[in-house]
Amino acid sequence: MAFFELRLAKRQEPSPLWRSALVFTGAVIVALGLSMLLLTVRDIAPLHGLQVLIMGAFGSGWALQDCLLKAIPLFLCSLGVAIAFRLRIWNIGAEGQFSLGAIGATWMALSFGGAPKLLLLPLMIVAACVSGGLWAMIPALFRQWLGANEIIVTLMLNYIGILLLDFLVYGVWRDSSGFPMTAAFSDNAIIGPIGTSSVHWGITHCLVLGLACWIFFRSTRLGYEIKACGDNVQTARYAGMPYSFLVVLVMVLSGTLAGWAGFLEVSATVHRLQPSIMVGYGFTAIVVAWLARLNPAGIALTSFLLAGLRAGVENLQLDLQIPAAFGSIMEGLILMTVLAGGFFLSYRIVLKRRA
Amino acid sequence: MPSTTPFIRLENLSKSFGKVRAIHHISLDIHRGQILALLGENGAGKSTLMSLLAGQLQPDSGSIFLNGEKVVLNSTEKAIHYGIGMVYQHFKLVENMNVLENIILGQSKNFWLRRSSLEAQVKELARNYGINLDLNAPIRGLSMGEKQQVEILKLLFRKSDLLIFDEPTAVLTPKEADNLFATMREMAAKDKAIVFISHKLEEVLSIADHIAILKQGEIIDRINPDAGLSPAELARRMVGRPVLLQVQRQEVEPRQTVLKVQNLSGNGLEHIELELRQGELLSLVGVAGNGQKALVETICGLQPPKEGSVRILGQDWHDFFADKQSESSLSYIPEDRQGLATCSGLDLLDNFLLTTRHGFTQGPWLHKQVAGEKLEKLLHDFDIRPPDAALRAWQLSGGNLQKLVLAREFYRKPRLIVAEQPTQGLDIAAAEEVWRLLLKAREQAGIILVTGDLAEALALSDRIGVMFRGHLVATMSRHDQASIDRIPQMMAGLNEEEHKQTQYEEVNP
Repeated sequence: MAFFELRLAKRQEPSPLWRSALVFTGAVIVALGLSMLLLTVRDIAPLHGLQVLIMGAFGSGWALQDCLLKAIPLFLCSLGVAIAFRLRIWNIGAEGQFSLGAIGATWMALSFGGAPKLLLLPLMIVAACVSGGLWAMIPALFRQWLGANEIIVTLMLNYIGILLLDFLVYGVWRDSSGFPMTAAFSDNAIIGPIGTSSVHWGITHCLVLGLACWIFFRSTRLGYEIKACGDNVQTARYAGMPYSFLVVLVMVLSGTLAGWAGFLEVSATVHRLQPSIMVGYGFTAIVVAWLARLNPAGIALTSFLLAGLRAGVENLQLDLQIPAAFGSIMEGLILMTVLAGGFFLSYRIVLKRRA
Repeated sequence: MPSTTPFIRLENLSKSFGKVRAIHHISLDIHRGQILALLGENGAGKSTLMSLLAGQLQPDSGSIFLNGEKVVLNSTEKAIHYGIGMVYQHFKLVENMNVLENIILGQSKNFWLRRSSLEAQVKELARNYGINLDLNAPIRGLSMGEKQQVEILKLLFRKSDLLIFDEPTAVLTPKEADNLFATMREMAAKDKAIVFISHKLEEVLSIADHIAILKQGEIIDRINPDAGLSPAELARRMVGRPVLLQVQRQEVEPRQTVLKVQNLSGNGLEHIELELRQGELLSLVGVAGNGQKALVETICGLQPPKEGSVRILGQDWHDFFADKQSESSLSYIPEDRQGLATCSGLDLLDNFLLTTRHGFTQGPWLHKQVAGEKLEKLLHDFDIRPPDAALRAWQLSGGNLQKLVLAREFYRKPRLIVAEQPTQGLDIAAAEEVWRLLLKAREQAGIILVTGDLAEALALSDRIGVMFRGHLVATMSRHDQASIDRIPQMMAGLNEEEHKQTQYEEVNP
């Protein structure tokens, strides 16, 4: 009898890109397989389920447009949390910062609805960014001054942010129709669609901001300092880097981007403020950032894929009466398999014939 | 005479890390009752070889035989099981537990600990090997030498038959080193096998039964120390070229004061008075843990002075460290290369930029391209291997990493340099290079050299200060032979009473 032995060996070099891509793809396939197996519980043939999912996500021009539309807020929120994650500051408050951004933009749209478009839109952007940024600054200050854990504070501020939105639309900003929503924005407060498609010009904001982020980390001193502090705080202190300042900076940038996403959602997608805009983009953004390993281009791709997952699950809901929670289950499965797959990036398995 | 079957036989071991060949077809016998010394430059493969023996790494090819039987050491537990133990440079002890608890930790399979019988066993063991330790003393309060003895007892208690020492004397006072050698001889006499790695050639010649020299992953020479080789000849064989075991030292006229410490207390320091001029090298010697760390961290801006004043380049401590521009004229070369001086996960370029970034900054932009060109040149000038700026810091050997830190710190042309154990763990060729660089930098800067190696201090310093329990016990000129002769006693605190008296007289003449 021949005996073989499996052994683990630590890789001595960083893994090349092709291996990361391979492991990522493999992990996603495993996650999809597991999810489809879950469908058998409801007597649905796994392959049929998969087909409905994929058709809903990427199967038609309309589906692809819907994906892009969902990918936009996901991309911006994720870009934001990734900045904080680089410094190992765990901002899981993108949802609340997104909500505050939407509120800030709405405030301007309702107050200065008559202003010309070229003035009103920048005003809304500034208001959204300032509200989102300041909202994110609170946990940063708490952390550096009082030693409060940023995970807890950002998490709790999410609920406050969401409830603040509810408070406004159920209260002072309620439309005359009586529904919990503001009045529709004036045309000057709206970012229009590109041509006849349903995708709006906000996607160009994503391109610019994504590029800016990439340049920031590649070529600026602050970007470099964030990277160094994220690797080793002790060394960063030794090198005289302003750690506390950087913590506040990344949180503000993080909140700014989530706020911007909130602005786009009200201005380009819904054209008013209403509670239904809070669908958890800020939470999914965390998954996206990790799946993409904090890389801006990767975040763009992953945002699109996870937006596709959302669209596909909606299709499953319509065609096969699968509960909406199934989307969250799949998201979680993908994150877990990809994170577990990271093991193969730092270790390899050696098959040895036993002596 | 060696018995016919060696305790451990390494046959044709090879190990590569990616493209880097760490060791290549090494065969080596380790016999009971003998002390084998491994010599070699940084990156020669000594640590890799020892990690293979300790079960931390697995060879790519080749085999290890134990008493003539082939074994696979694929975990540290297995290595320990086979009686192979290692005393690491950084001790692995639980600081809050006492000596006995550290020794018996994890060794009893029973639910109940029979403390008294275990204590008796450990006591017996310590007595057999001439180790004198209070088993109930907490580790926290022990000296480095005593901690090392605990490590040795730990291995003996686990019935290790092969004890591997990785640069054991680097952290010891001369007296403690002598004690260690006595213990090592005792262990060899009791049929244990000893492997020890060192850079100090004299001690290798005096204690080893066999010497193997590694270079670029291969054993290039095997030497019998009885053959009457001089340290210089040994160094020549190791490095491949003649090595001067001392440095050419030119007098430099001291100029303006770069550092003035007055009555500094707190953080374990007691009334430190210190002045340093440009063109001067002041060594602070003493056993590790006598306040050197606090003093260095205060001077380098990591902790503010509690009492007393520190003036750097004519500026008060707080003003100096508030100003980014002035801060760049101070270089701190910390002892902890991996954890403090570099970021292990970043590449060499990013590590180079850590303290030089302000020089490559224009507005918000950081000119990495320009920095990269400078670094290429430095990698070449300082002979840092492999000279690839895209490597991560963790891929470099300790010595090469230290050279990178020095290259970076000297690049800024600082006017005050604080170097902490800069040659610890470096081979003689590299150490010689560091000494030369320090002396060269002295022409432009004032240098504080914190070292545990008295020979190093004597070779380099203009003045030497001795630290003990937070006091700067004495400072003396390199020409004051009478005081220099008393340094070993001062390091052990034997001079303290006398010092207190002189200090008292200075205050009240």
